[in-house]
Amino acid sequence: MKDKEIDEILRQAAQAPRSVDPALLDRVAGSLARSLRPVRPLPPAWVLTSGLALICVAVALAGAARLGFYGIQKLSGGERALIFPTLGVLIWLGAAAATGEMIPGSRRRIAPATLLGAGCLALLAVFGVLFHDYRTGQFVSQGVKCLTAGLLHAAPAALVSWLLLRRGFAVNPVAAGLVAGTLAGLAGVTMLELHCANFEAPHVMLWHIAVIPVSAAAGAVLGWAARVCRR
Amino acid sequence: MDPNSDLEMLMARYQQGDFSAATALIYRLSPQLHRFFAVQFASRGDADDLLQETWLRIHQVRHTYRAGEPVLPWFYAIARHIRVDHYRKASRTRGREERLEDVHEAQAPPGPGGAPNLEALLAPLPESQREVIEMLKVAGMSLEEVARATSSSVGSVKQKAHRAYERLREQLSGVGLSEGRTGDVREG
Repeated sequence: MKDKEIDEILRQAAQAPRSVDPALLDRVAGSLARSLRPVRPLPPAWVLTSGLALICVAVALAGAARLGFYGIQKLSGGERALIFPTLGVLIWLGAAAATGEMIPGSRRRIAPATLLGAGCLALLAVFGVLFHDYRTGQFVSQGVKCLTAGLLHAAPAALVSWLLLRRGFAVNPVAAGLVAGTLAGLAGVTMLELHCANFEAPHVMLWHIAVIPVSAAAGAVLGWAARVCRR
Repeated sequence: MDPNSDLEMLMARYQQGDFSAATALIYRLSPQLHRFFAVQFASRGDADDLLQETWLRIHQVRHTYRAGEPVLPWFYAIARHIRVDHYRKASRTRGREERLEDVHEAQAPPGPGGAPNLEALLAPLPESQREVIEMLKVAGMSLEEVARATSSSVGSVKQKAHRAYERLREQLSGVGLSEGRTGDVREG
């Protein structure tokens, strides 16, 4: 059997009239009429995306300003030119993905899990290329400090992002939470790169990057909780 | 007038609080949304409930539609969300999966006027393939629109449609041959 023949069978089947009880439709129309008033549509996607990206950059800059710009001062020009544009691209991708997740029927350019994985791998590659000091002095104590600081800055980034996107509607709250968490995690990592002057490769590659998956996991859990509550 | 731009216009008026536009959308889109649910769930009562729930949700989030964007993916993304939520609840409470497996075994009896019954025809397909075929062939959406409605890529939609056609071919002709095409679907 050829595809054209299957097409024809499906076409015939689809043409069979589908009647919906008019009383049901009247009931639906009636229930909508009670609360029908003009609404303000969401702004264009680029406005939301730019807003989210700005929020992340602002939170990272504010955090680093409070804690000190020791990291960026110690980085060479080449290192800055590689790290910050990479973070910028990832933040823009994350912001675009978060916007898409909050608007039903949006084009999905990158899947949430892919964004998370690709973001972590890209940063691992960049840090792997730039940092070659493999000492692990005060590995855990320094690391936990950076992880905590990164997450403490991811939280406000997530909160302000939520305020911007709260009028949206996540058709998949878990995916939306995962993307928002990833984006907030990127804000946390950006703050760490501006602030942290510890360039030991294991420290940067584990504890700095860990902010992203931990934040993304927290976002996904919150999204799951939101879905449960919505039921 | 292009049906899609007509829908876009109605949607814009609905957002402005125009009751006649809301009613027009309800009467125009409900049959195909109802079919979308009926293809997934055997019971007409379920489809009625889901349709009603979908319109209430559409009403709550109508501000998330932006002028110039395709309308059908927006509607179907919300309808799909309602269906998935319902399916989760039903699976938990009634062992829905087993019941659907039973439905899959059903043959495709002819519908009214001798036309094949769409619900029974698509019943053997996995849920993800069924919804893709329903959107492509019944709602007349393009690959890009289906990708938007299902939050996936065009490649993934093509793959699902291709697999669905293989399955339908096996079912309809009893021969498991694949021709590597997915029929007439709009690319744009």
